[in-house]
Amino acid sequence: MPAHHVLIYLFTGAAAGLVGAMLGIGGGVFLVPLLTLALGVPIRAAVAASLISVIATATASSTVNLDRGLVNMRLAMALEVATSIGGLGGGLAASLLSTQQLFLIFGGTLAAMGALMLMRSGRRNVIADTSVDPGRLGGRLQEGDTTYVYRVRRLNLALGASLVAGAVSGLLGLGGGIIKVPVLNTFCGVPIRVAAATSAFMIGVTAAASVFVYFARGDVVLPISAAVALGALPGSLLGARLGQRVEARALKIFLAAVLLLVGGRMALEAL
Amino acid sequence: MTGRVEYLEDVIEKGLKVGLALSTGLLLVGLVLNATGPLRWGILLLMLTPVARVAVVTVGLAIERDWIFATVSFAVLAILVAGIWVAVHR
Repeated sequence: MPAHHVLIYLFTGAAAGLVGAMLGIGGGVFLVPLLTLALGVPIRAAVAASLISVIATATASSTVNLDRGLVNMRLAMALEVATSIGGLGGGLAASLLSTQQLFLIFGGTLAAMGALMLMRSGRRNVIADTSVDPGRLGGRLQEGDTTYVYRVRRLNLALGASLVAGAVSGLLGLGGGIIKVPVLNTFCGVPIRVAAATSAFMIGVTAAASVFVYFARGDVVLPISAAVALGALPGSLLGARLGQRVEARALKIFLAAVLLLVGGRMALEAL
Repeated sequence: MTGRVEYLEDVIEKGLKVGLALSTGLLLVGLVLNATGPLRWGILLLMLTPVARVAVVTVGLAIERDWIFATVSFAVLAILVAGIWVAVHR
């Protein structure tokens, strides 16, 4: 591979890692279209490279987020069961739906979530009264000098969303965070920063559920995957740190914009 | 209880850093020298890092006697191992 191609893949990985780690969505939603449409990488190789890059982003950003106590490990593990089953089952659903239907349903859902997030961006999920019991799955969050408490609501919905996220992940090479983060934040009472950090922690496992199948099939093009993953590492470390500095409301609006853009584009492509 | 979870988080964080450092090194060497061996091992190591992380969590929670979440974590590990098994035997 020529040196300037390596640089392009490194830069692409870094950009996807930066945004992916900041919002907890991994970055596959940008990587797959960028690699296939702009760089001409075959779809299976792009999905494989994206899954590997999602693992790199999840691993790198988790070293930052764990250190700051932002990852809700119990919630992550409970949702990982649903999401990894979905990941393995994704292949079965693929034969039931056409790509067009998949894009339409997925794109439409994302755009709707984006609109909902935008409308609710002013609301907060945290409780300033630290005497409130966070429950078995809830937790505490330190912001500046203030400690907040949050409780997890509608766990069944979170589990269902994780199952769908896992299935979509295996099909399209995403981490699935683009579904999990908005659902956790909008419906389940999880603060945006915790939702992003917990999702980033999970998506590595989601990607790992299907990536070995791609590897064994010979879909992993080593230099492309390596360059994208190497770029994603510094990008994610920076993204995870940035995500903690930016105001919660700005993060939500940014995520809403990404959802509207990606969802709208996918739905339009199917029409 | 909280102290133990924090300890487990600390162990995971260090484990993830070691996995990242090793695979980054291998990928860099592979790309610079244009060598397939280090690239393949670097990518495999990166792919195995989340699996190792789930294994560490499972053992850690079992040591803490948090049986519910240890079982949950073991289920995730079983699904991941099933994924690897399917990949190898297809």
